[in-house]
Amino acid sequence: MTAEAWQIVFFTIEVSALSTLLILPLGVAVAWLIARREWPGKAVVETMAMLPLFVPPVATGLLLLMLFSRRGPLGSMLQRGFGWDIVFTWRAVVLACAVMSFPLLVRTAQAAFEGVSARFEDIARTLGASEWRVFATISLPLAARGIVAGAVLAFARAMGEFGATAIVAGMIPRKTMTISLSIYQNIQLGHDAAALPLLFVSIGIVFITVLCGQIITMRKRPR
Amino acid sequence: MSLQLRNIRLPLADFALETDAMFDWPITGIFGPSGAGKTSLLDLIAGLRRPVAGAVKLDDKVIFDAANRLNLPPRLRRIGYVPQDLALFPHLKVRANLLYGYRPALIENELFTLGHVAGVMEITPLLERNVTTLSGGEQQRVAFARAILSAPRLLLLDEPMSSLDSRLKKRLIPFLLRIRDEFRIPLIYVTHDAAELVALCDEVLMLERGQLIGRGSPADVLA
Amino acid sequence: MKTKALVLLFSLLIATSISAAELTVYAAASLTDALKEIAATYEKQSGDKLQFNFGASSMLARQIEEGAPADLFFSADEAKMDALEKKDLLLPGTRRSLLSNFLVLIVPADASAAPKSAADLAKPEFKKIALAEPQTVPAGIYAREYLQKLGLWDAVKEKVVPTENVRAALAAVESGNVEVGIVYKTDSLISKKVKVAVEVPAAEGPKISYPIAVLKSSKQPDRAKKFAEYLAGPTPRSVFEKFGFTFAK
Repeated sequence: MTAEAWQIVFFTIEVSALSTLLILPLGVAVAWLIARREWPGKAVVETMAMLPLFVPPVATGLLLLMLFSRRGPLGSMLQRGFGWDIVFTWRAVVLACAVMSFPLLVRTAQAAFEGVSARFEDIARTLGASEWRVFATISLPLAARGIVAGAVLAFARAMGEFGATAIVAGMIPRKTMTISLSIYQNIQLGHDAAALPLLFVSIGIVFITVLCGQIITMRKRPR
Repeated sequence: MSLQLRNIRLPLADFALETDAMFDWPITGIFGPSGAGKTSLLDLIAGLRRPVAGAVKLDDKVIFDAANRLNLPPRLRRIGYVPQDLALFPHLKVRANLLYGYRPALIENELFTLGHVAGVMEITPLLERNVTTLSGGEQQRVAFARAILSAPRLLLLDEPMSSLDSRLKKRLIPFLLRIRDEFRIPLIYVTHDAAELVALCDEVLMLERGQLIGRGSPADVLA
Repeated sequence: MKTKALVLLFSLLIATSISAAELTVYAAASLTDALKEIAATYEKQSGDKLQFNFGASSMLARQIEEGAPADLFFSADEAKMDALEKKDLLLPGTRRSLLSNFLVLIVPADASAAPKSAADLAKPEFKKIALAEPQTVPAGIYAREYLQKLGLWDAVKEKVVPTENVRAALAAVESGNVEVGIVYKTDSLISKKVKVAVEVPAAEGPKISYPIAVLKSSKQPDRAKKFAEYLAGPTPRSVFEKFGFTFAK
C-alpha cells in the first residue's frame, strides 16, 4: 500500500463519515414521520426517500449533476450564496454518498421506531410530555439501537459508492478519488494488481464496520 | 370530581363503542368480558383515541367535543393512566420513571412529593434500580406511584392486577385504597375480576360489546 | 431467355444480400460525427452494415486485448496501435496512419474570461481544467505532453479534472462546471456551447496521428480491408476535412 493509496482510503472514510453525519438528522426525522404519523402525500414522500435504492446509480448521478452543476438550479444557488463549487469537488462525493445511502438509513430507522411500543409514547403523553419531549426522551432512546444500525449501513454503503460519484464528482486524484473509483481506474489503466490492496482494505473496513454494527444491535440489554 | 361522557361513539374493529355515562364516585369499576371495549373507553377518556362523535366533560371543563372540533391533547388533561402492561420506561431507572410526569409548579401540597409517594407505595429502596429487574408487585407499585406523581385529577387503571397471583393482589389492594384516601384521586378501574370489584369499587358500570348494559353497586351487578 | 435472366438476377441479388457483412469498428471518440456521416454513405453503396463502438482509444484497446470482437480499430494515437501490434493482434499490412488533428483550449461560449495562451492556464481565475485522462487517453496524453513541453504541467496539474474520454471533457466545458478544457479542434467545431480560446499550431503542438488497422481476429478481413481503403478515398476525405481533421503525411 503506497502513501497515495492510504490517502485514498482515509479520504473515502472521511467523506463516508461526513455524509452519514449529514443525513442523520433528516433521515431520523423522516423515519419517525413515516413510522408515527399519517399525512397527505405520505406515500409520495416515502417513495421518493426510497428511490435511490432502485434507480440506477448513474441515473441518480446524472440527476445530481443536472441539479448541482454551476448552472443548475441548486448549484447556482450554492455558488451565489456560499461561493461553493459542488460538481468535480469533494462536496460532490459527499453529496452522492449521502443521497445513495439515505434510503438505507431511513428504512432501518423507520423499523426501529416502529419497534418501539406506541404505548410508551402514549403514557408519556398522559404524564404531560409535549410531542418533542416524547420524541427526545422516549422514542429516540428506545429506537437508538436501530438508528445506530442504520447509520452503520449508511456508512458502509457510502464507502462502496461508485456510480453516482463517478458522474457527479469525477475521478480527480487527491480531490475526489475514492476507493471504488481508484479500483475502477486501475482496471482501466490495466493495473489490476495495483487495485488489489485497495480492494482488500475496503473489504476489511466495511467488514469491521458492519460487525461493530451487529455487535451494537445485539448486545444484551434487558428490554 | 365528575366525569361525563355524552353520546360518545368510537368505532372499533367489530363494533362501535357507544356510551353515555357519568362517573362521580371515588372508585368506579368498569366490568365486562375481554374485547368489550374497556381499554378503548379508558383510551378515549385519556385522550389517546378520538371518538367520531360526542363530548367529554371533566368537572366543568369540556375536554372533548366532536361537534365543535375540540380535543384537548392528553398532556393537558391531567388524567393519569396505568395501562395493562404498565409501560414502565425500560431505559430509565425507577427514579427517572417516577419523576417523568412530576412538575413541582403544579403541586399544591407536600403529599405529591417523591419521598412521600415512594413511602406510601413502599418503593423507596427501589429508586436506583432498573425497572426491568423488579418483581411484578414492585413494578405495579412503581406504575401507580409514577401516575400519582403527575398529580392527576383522575386516575385510570386498566386491569392493573391481571398478571398477578391472588396473594399479590390481596397485598396491593390496600395501596389502591391509599390512593383514594391519602391522595384523594378518583379512580376508574377496569377489571374482569369480581373479587377486585367487591374489594375496591363504590359503583360499577358493565360494558359489553361497546354498550353500557348496567350500572350499580358491586353486589347488584354481580347478582 | 427472360426467365433465365430473371433467375440469374435474382440469385445475384440474394447472393449479395447473403454476403452483405456487418463490420464492427472500434473508433476514437473524436471521430464520432465524421464516421457516422461517412458510414451512412458507405452502407448505401456497399450494402455492408457498420457498427461503431466509440470511446477512449485506451479503453477500446483494452477491450480488444481482452478479446472483444471487432473488425477494425481506428485509434487517436499510435501508442495504442503499437500496443496491439506488439501483442500480434493486427492483421499484417493493414495498418496505416490516416488523420491528424489540432489541440485547442476551449471555454464555455458565454464565458467572460478566456486564456490568451497556454501559460494563462496557471492563472487563478481558471480553477478547473478538463482534459481526457492524461495517463491513458490519447487526447489527454497529447495535452499533457504539450503542457510538459512548455514547462506548465506542474503548475496546472492540480487543477486538472480528468475525464473518461475527450467528448466528456467537451461536455464538462459546455456545462460550465469547468472554466477551460483542452480538446481536439474537431471536437470544438461540433459544439455551439463552447468557443475556442487558443489554437495550438501544428509546429508547437504534439504530433497527433490517427492510425487505422484491421484486426487479426476479424471474421471478414476482406470487407474490413475494403472499408479501411475506402476511408482513405476522396469522399471520406472531404467529410473529414469538413469536420476539421487534417491528413497524415
